[in-house]
Amino acid sequence: MELLAQAADFGTYGKWMPPNLSVRGGAIDQLIEILHYFMAVLFVGWGIFFVYCLVRFRSGKGGSAQYHPVKGKASKYAEVGVAIFEAVLLLGFSMPVWGEYKNDPPPADKRVEVRAIGEQFQWNFHYPGPDGKFGRTNAKFIDNVSNTIGLDPDDPNGKDDIQTIGALHLPVGRPIYVRITSKDVIHSFAIPTMRVKQDAIPGMEVPVWFQIKEGATTANLLKSKSMNEDFDTAKTNWYRVRHLVASKDYADKSGQIILAEGAGIGLSRDAGEKKLKQLREAGIDSINMHPENPLEVICAQLCGNSHFKMKAQLYTYDDAGFEAWKKSTVPEVIEEF
Amino acid sequence: MSDHSHELPFWKKYIFSVDHKVIGIQYTVTALLFLAFGFGLMLVMRYQLAYPNQPLPGVFASVLSEPVVGEVTVNEATGETGKVLTGDGYNAFGAMHGTIMVFLAIVPLAVGGFGNFVLPLQCGAPDMAFPRLNMASYWTYLCGGILMLFGFFVKGGAANSGWTSYPPLSLIATTGQTIWLLGMVILITSSLLGSVNFIVTAVQLRVQGLSFFRLPFFVWAQLVTSFLLLLAFPPLEAAGLLQLMDRVAGTSFFDPGGLIISGVERNSAGGGSPLLWQHLFWFLAHPEVYVLILPGLGIIAEVIANNTRKPLWGYKSLVYSAIFLGFMSFIVWAHHMYLTGMGTTLSTFFQATTMIISVPSVIILTCLVISLWGARIRFNTPMLFALSFLPMFAIGGLTGLPLGLTASDIHLHDTYYVIGHFHYVVAPGTIFAMFAGVYYWYPKASGRMMNEWLGRIHWFGSFVFINAVFMPFFFLGMAGVLRRQFDQTETLHGAAVQGLTVMATWGAIGLALAQIPFVINFFWSMFAGQRVGANPWKATTLEWTAPSPPPHGNFDAVPVVARGPYEYSVPGESEDFSMQATA
Ligand code: HEM
Ligand SMILES: [Cu+2]
Ligand SMILES: [Cu+2]
Repeated sequence: MELLAQAADFGTYGKWMPPNLSVRGGAIDQLIEILHYFMAVLFVGWGIFFVYCLVRFRSGKGGSAQYHPVKGKASKYAEVGVAIFEAVLLLGFSMPVWGEYKNDPPPADKRVEVRAIGEQFQWNFHYPGPDGKFGRTNAKFIDNVSNTIGLDPDDPNGKDDIQTIGALHLPVGRPIYVRITSKDVIHSFAIPTMRVKQDAIPGMEVPVWFQIKEGATTANLLKSKSMNEDFDTAKTNWYRVRHLVASKDYADKSGQIILAEGAGIGLSRDAGEKKLKQLREAGIDSINMHPENPLEVICAQLCGNSHFKMKAQLYTYDDAGFEAWKKSTVPEVIEEF
Repeated sequence: MSDHSHELPFWKKYIFSVDHKVIGIQYTVTALLFLAFGFGLMLVMRYQLAYPNQPLPGVFASVLSEPVVGEVTVNEATGETGKVLTGDGYNAFGAMHGTIMVFLAIVPLAVGGFGNFVLPLQCGAPDMAFPRLNMASYWTYLCGGILMLFGFFVKGGAANSGWTSYPPLSLIATTGQTIWLLGMVILITSSLLGSVNFIVTAVQLRVQGLSFFRLPFFVWAQLVTSFLLLLAFPPLEAAGLLQLMDRVAGTSFFDPGGLIISGVERNSAGGGSPLLWQHLFWFLAHPEVYVLILPGLGIIAEVIANNTRKPLWGYKSLVYSAIFLGFMSFIVWAHHMYLTGMGTTLSTFFQATTMIISVPSVIILTCLVISLWGARIRFNTPMLFALSFLPMFAIGGLTGLPLGLTASDIHLHDTYYVIGHFHYVVAPGTIFAMFAGVYYWYPKASGRMMNEWLGRIHWFGSFVFINAVFMPFFFLGMAGVLRRQFDQTETLHGAAVQGLTVMATWGAIGLALAQIPFVINFFWSMFAGQRVGANPWKATTLEWTAPSPPPHGNFDAVPVVARGPYEYSVPGESEDFSMQATA
């Protein structure tokens, strides 16, 4: 168990980019990294020249400025070099990565398919169920509580379909194929940890596909060292800890538990500060916490006044776990996060 | 040239003036006011971002009311209440911040202000080609701007669908969006009137001897800018009218039909395309970003040539690059739309053109930097702004690359990285160029210098704080934090980097304070600044031949141009500058 937790350490939030849990995401990260080295080299090289000029050619030194232009090919070489390097990045990196992102979807029998339907301000998900076929949907069947996607009750293909609101369940290690659309305005389906982003546009259905790294299950992430952070109760920033829950029980001197395993410190600033104060007063100067659920689907396109709150929880499983989740979900009963 | 300005009554001389200089100053002052207002909107937003749902401090709370803010209880015990920004209020401020900054502040300042004041002078012209059109352009702009602001007072508040106004969100938005569309149509009309005038003036009214390749780079930049405005704005004007029809006349150009808004089907014929709007919008808005930067580059080139005391290095490369940029800017627009579902063919075209357009940008920057070699650099206030423009514009340009490549854009699109990118070009870039321009041409416009020490304090504070505002944005974007979010701490990755957002907010507060010396300087120098003659900077271009301030009609005698624009430190000359006009 301990070993697995070590092996499954995929990083955490707040350190440069979010952890990358997608098999293909590495290529995107690599391109971003190369680009930034390239930019840094250009900026520093050019900056040295700039500062050198400012010092050497300041007016205080007297004499007169040079009328005739400096000769030399250095700038030509630099410009041509930049152009060539950009061409390499385009042809050698961006186009192949994008090609893989857009072309050759995984074959229908090998992939796990799900529809993601955006709505102000929630993500609805639609699974085909054991028969692998999606039931028809139609606006007239929409019910805001029990049938948000408008599944046709008379379609036999839809009988075993599963709907969820605000919760996306996916297996690791298998190609995932998400068909994205929207009921109302434009949203954007984004999972930062999967390096996936695609606008959800009403009247259009656009697929994206990706594969979650082997081992990156929600259970493993929760146990991973990097997701379990120690917070200094004296210096802790309320914003961070309000998303986190304690990894074990914390008791005061009398033995009474003041922060139970799995409990958070409170959603509001006041509640959070009170709890932190209580902890400090009990002599607890560090608490170990982890996210209640480490992965999120967000909406990346302005879609109205609660756009910022439009998100879904992403749960990842190994194959057995995924099958167990499907069985545990009774068709046509909405699971709400 | 006749000097009959004193014959005109006050209102004709200063209010409904047809003199390009007065109009230029009207534009400048109006645009600076809009700039300050847009900045104020942003400060309120930044407070909410740094301290989500905390009551706004007194200054803001006292001027804001429903629906922008909502009442909350601050203290349960005492029942004390405070005001917090609402989600709709935040979105309205965001949309209006973008709109005001782009269409009511920067472009009017760069084109209407500097272009109007400087371009005819640098061409040796007595005025614009069509002075009345020029006046109409300013008043149309002012009407459009006031109408835009009126949006804040209609039911539901101002437009809140982003400065990009993507449908269907903008179709179902409150009345403010209709006002926004009407305002845009008027503003675009004003721009079109202005751009025609600029083109004709630069082409037709150049004095004898002033061939195209003797034009200062500033005039070239304005000329290319005017072509961009003239060719790119009409599609948006048309698109704006179509969206207006969708909202008020029941058409559905941008409505695909079958939309379920809060569980209710929207009544419409359908069959439209939301993406059509995006294409029309970005077909304008990408050229528009060059409208935002080219005049700035023009100013920087003038200030650098003057204060290096030597000719610009690669003047012709600069001109050709600007023309090429202008041309290319029409065929890159869809790089804003990679993630709408674009396939490989289209995206290959657009990422290739986007990489190509970065090359002339690199050339322009290179020319300006190499111009420093062999110089005798005078570090006065305009030059400090111009010099610090260079590295910050470089940061803005370079960060366009990861956004221009589709693969890296997947992670960065719609994040703060984009916000960092374009603000580095427009704020530390263009706005710094505008400040350089104000300090540089103030003596020409008023006959008095601005105070040098206040200017340096202004520069230093602005330089430090503007980076404190915008540098964190790149790190936020890398961490995945999205733009247009009322409260980033709702997400795990956002909460983890909230500290950076707090830093940016304090940077913005610092930046606001850093403008105080400028405001003082601007007004104080009008009355108490040191009086100067025609050419206080020992510059070469034609505007410095005219008296300061130039009378109606500009020049005492029609100038004749004998040489190129940047003949500084010519060997064998007694002075280190040889003016374009023969004496
Ligand atoms: C080196 C040249 C440049 C390149 C390669 C470039 C590339 C890009 C790309 C690809 C985007 C879209 C990013 C996204 O939404 O994911 C973008 C956004 C933007 N750029 Fe640039 N850019 C360049 C120069 C400029 C300049 C000179 C300006 C002028 C002020 C500018 C202003 C903007 C603005 C305002 C946006 C954001 C629009 C919005 O979504 O609200 N860019 N740029
Ligand atoms: Cu959304
Ligand atoms: Cu663009």
